[in-house]
Amino acid sequence: MPELLMNAIEVTTLTKHFGSLVAVNNVTFTVPKGEIFGYLGPNGAGKTTTIRILTGITAPTSGTATIFGHDIQREKLTARSSMGIVPETSNIYDDLSAWKNLMFSAELYHVRKSERESRATELLKTFEIYDRKDDKVHGFSKGMKRRLTIAMGLVNSPPLLFLDEPTSGLDVQSNLIIRQVIRDLNEQGVTVFLTTHNIEEANLMCHRVAIINRGIIAAIDSPERLKKTIQSVQAVELALEAMSADIIEALAHIPHVNDIRREGDKLRLYTEDPGSVVEAAMAYLREKHIRPISVNTLGPSLEEVFVRLTGLDKGRKNEKTVT
Amino acid sequence: MVYTLENLKNDLHGAWAITRKDLTIYYLKPNIYMSGILFPLFMLLAFAVGRNAPIITLIPGLIAITALFSASSIEPVSIPIERRTKTFDRLLSAPISIFALVLGESISGLLFSYSICILMLVAGAILYHLSLVSILILLVGIALSCFTFANLGTVFAAYPTENVGEVMSLLNLVRLPLIFISGVFIPLEAMPSWGRAVSAISPLTYASDILRYGFEGVTHVGLVTDIVMLLLFVIIFQLIGNLLYKKFNE
Repeated sequence: MPELLMNAIEVTTLTKHFGSLVAVNNVTFTVPKGEIFGYLGPNGAGKTTTIRILTGITAPTSGTATIFGHDIQREKLTARSSMGIVPETSNIYDDLSAWKNLMFSAELYHVRKSERESRATELLKTFEIYDRKDDKVHGFSKGMKRRLTIAMGLVNSPPLLFLDEPTSGLDVQSNLIIRQVIRDLNEQGVTVFLTTHNIEEANLMCHRVAIINRGIIAAIDSPERLKKTIQSVQAVELALEAMSADIIEALAHIPHVNDIRREGDKLRLYTEDPGSVVEAAMAYLREKHIRPISVNTLGPSLEEVFVRLTGLDKGRKNEKTVT
Repeated sequence: MVYTLENLKNDLHGAWAITRKDLTIYYLKPNIYMSGILFPLFMLLAFAVGRNAPIITLIPGLIAITALFSASSIEPVSIPIERRTKTFDRLLSAPISIFALVLGESISGLLFSYSICILMLVAGAILYHLSLVSILILLVGIALSCFTFANLGTVFAAYPTENVGEVMSLLNLVRLPLIFISGVFIPLEAMPSWGRAVSAISPLTYASDILRYGFEGVTHVGLVTDIVMLLLFVIIFQLIGNLLYKKFNE
């Protein structure tokens, strides 16, 4: 296949067993070149196992995975040369300086001696840690370590980048830098395979997302298309001057309201027919002389798609992000 | 996939990068000094104090067990630590083979141990005016011994744990008996026939024998046998190391 038409990643019926546990079950997907592909799933869903197979650390029980046409098991070294890997844990050497960490990573990835220093300088400046380049890493903040880990994953200028939870638990500055770098890289043609618990991040950054649960892919599509698949979780959001159990009870009994949830100082009425629910709710409020502060209709969020497809509804109703 | 010359070049380069990383990070770790230097020194003192054996008969044994303990101590410390900090995944996911990983880790054990043994040799020569029969055989013998034991340490470090103590305990189950069956403290000639048979499967036997030749000009099994057997142990440990790291990381 001509290189231009090749997918960055092709996964075919990939399965991984650990004893009797099926961590990844018959997973198939492709990631075209230049895409930011999100891989979402709750803990233990099979995200990290998939990444470990795609990066050649773990062998699959069955199925195949290719990176730019190179089978990750049979052509491991060639396939790995074209990828950068940023694992969930910032795996850098605390006893080495930022500079030496980058030099070590560059050597492992066979970056030419003439290019190593200029590439390292460029990356340290991009991630705003150049001033600390000669300091040992053990004095770095969590965000700085994360930025250095990503810099190390980019030292070989890979056309494909694996990012496992890149911004999890970081400060705002680090989050902004990392997201901007990912966008810039993608604009330069780098394919990004991103796992995240932060659904809003996936919604904002990914061209497509796959939702994996218990080793099985529940859905793959663009965030917007996925949202459309669950129209039943459209909602009418009401902020009222007064709120009581009676009012909530009455609103819950309006026809077509499937569910009602209190979100801070607002009420959300989930429905497949927001128009008729707004009419009925307003009629009830007028009758009771309750003044609404605001009324909004909301489409389904990617989080709701995720919750619906992974069966996490119970006990997770009021969380903004899934952790 | 065909393993090309380019792959070999990249692997050797990667192995050397791993060695230099280990040199920088782990050589000053206290448990490496304790296990690699102080332990063999105290063991020798325990055997030597009160005996009237001439020092020349003790030095080859001291250097041999120092090679054993120092060369095999680097990886059982560094690799579990790297598993814990997840930096070991960085090595496993890099575009280098398992061969490069095992080789790089073993060379770092070799260099650490070789420098300590040479220091001991120089100190012995200065303090006790030792006369050496063959400095070349000594240098080659020390290098071969250190590399053999470094590979032994790398093999044990393949055990998939993040706990240094677990690997060290397993390793000591092998290292300590080796001292008593390899002619270091009890001469091979003084051993019963079954003891001599067991000593044939100990790399320490050939390490102490080749060093004795360097110091005294005498060997029990022959110089060529010493060299061939030590090389054979290097190859066997390399093969086992490659198999285990592959197996435990899949």
